[in-house]
Amino acid sequence: MNASQTQSKKLRQAGIVRRVIFVLVAVAVIVPYILKPNLPGEPNHWAEEVYKRVDTLKPGSHMMLAFNFEPSSGAELYPMVRVVLMHCFKKGVVPVLMTHYTNALNLMKQVVAESATQAKKKWGKDVQPGKDYVILGYRPGDEMLIVNMGENLKGAFDKDLDNRLTQNMPALKGVNSLRDLDLAMDFASSGTTQMWIAYGSDKFGFPLVAGTTAVQAPDLYIYLPPSGQLKGFLGGLRGAADYETLLCRSDNVAVEGPANKGMPSQSAVHVMLVLLILGANVRMIYGKFAGKRKV
Amino acid sequence: MIFKKATIPLIIVFVMGVLGFATQYVPHPASATVTEEITSWFKVIGGFGLFIGAYSLIHMHLTRIKRRMEGWGYSMFTFIGAAFMIFVGLYNGGDGPLREASSQEQVTQKMMFDWGYQYVFVPCTATIFSILAFFMASAAFRTFRARNLAAGLLLVAALIVMLGRVPVSEWFSLQVFGDKGVFDTATDFIMEGPNLAAKRGITLGISLGAISQALRILFGIERSYMGGD
Repeated sequence: MNASQTQSKKLRQAGIVRRVIFVLVAVAVIVPYILKPNLPGEPNHWAEEVYKRVDTLKPGSHMMLAFNFEPSSGAELYPMVRVVLMHCFKKGVVPVLMTHYTNALNLMKQVVAESATQAKKKWGKDVQPGKDYVILGYRPGDEMLIVNMGENLKGAFDKDLDNRLTQNMPALKGVNSLRDLDLAMDFASSGTTQMWIAYGSDKFGFPLVAGTTAVQAPDLYIYLPPSGQLKGFLGGLRGAADYETLLCRSDNVAVEGPANKGMPSQSAVHVMLVLLILGANVRMIYGKFAGKRKV
Repeated sequence: MIFKKATIPLIIVFVMGVLGFATQYVPHPASATVTEEITSWFKVIGGFGLFIGAYSLIHMHLTRIKRRMEGWGYSMFTFIGAAFMIFVGLYNGGDGPLREASSQEQVTQKMMFDWGYQYVFVPCTATIFSILAFFMASAAFRTFRARNLAAGLLLVAALIVMLGRVPVSEWFSLQVFGDKGVFDTATDFIMEGPNLAAKRGITLGISLGAISQALRILFGIERSYMGGD
């Protein structure tokens, strides 16, 4: 077999291996999702910090939720927003939602509607827009918008998403700028958390926590205590599952929620990947030793 | 001519840059007023940016269709999808042509615009991102090989973090080490130790570079944003 034939054989083998991995990933996602094994995990201490921050807020406190992701990151972040919103409604905290992304508006409305339905079902809380929560919507500007909100929130958003004036809105009573917030949380699929730290919490002095995709999570450790710019964070679907676990435990009910539903699939894929990588390395090392012995 | 094309933009950049910089450190109420005014203008300029982006997109796809370039059919779908969403978004306040003009009672009902968003846009974008999982799995399989010490350390760290971030690691940890928190502790150590140190160094370096670049732009040393002749 000449060099080009060997090369094309290797390429064909690589293509087959790739397709086998695709099939294995699909099976690892689908089968646990159908079987639904019970895999509770101990919440991470940073998730506990976020939970504690929200849980210790008094009824009537204001918490800003910066909804900075699009449907592409919704698989990880939507369950996170959903459970945090449910917690806010349970505690009587007033969530103030805004976004830097135009494509997030309908998703925001959807998650608020879903969380409100769950809050009514679980705790009998009947939340009303403009009174118990407010969806401010979208404005362009990124960093400038945060600075603008920090100086004059009602000037930055003179109306909410449903065209209600914010000036005398009951949900925003006592909140004229970001300084008046009791807590803020940025749900980010890109670098908006760093923006909120630099132009928001560091400048205007409100406590900030974050919820991000798992890919973004390693970038945020530099802002956690001892630095203290972020008080806690939820990383990826596991972070959302940890929060759901904490909320269910506080209600003394079985752990449930869309994030926990996804944990068996995530576990299966991670374990499968670890085994494949270990197998490939064992084969590589064996090949090296076998090669040396022949020589 | 040079004054108009080169010097005036430089003066504007310098003045606005210094103004924006100064308002961050001046506590006087006038500084807050100036900041509000600047951010309002920023919103207006952002709105113009939307028109420029839309024009650019239309021009690019029209060119692809006219020249029958590869994948020109997808450009047709771009226009069809955009036209549909613009039409239902504007017509009847989002209700679309199949309903009468929305009354107050109908506001809470699902509108055609919402339907297009929830049942077309959301599944399509979620699907595109979900495909990444397959390619990442394949790339991880090919990349994580312990060819040398550094690669070996990366491999071990990656395996620990991958296992530590899923609940099943507690079961593994209990079976192997007799304590369910071993993988979690190891993951936390890796993320809060070596990862944090490396990220901090990288972020400091990037920030210093960004400050240097900003000063070069403010003082007119860096002029690539003005375009070339």
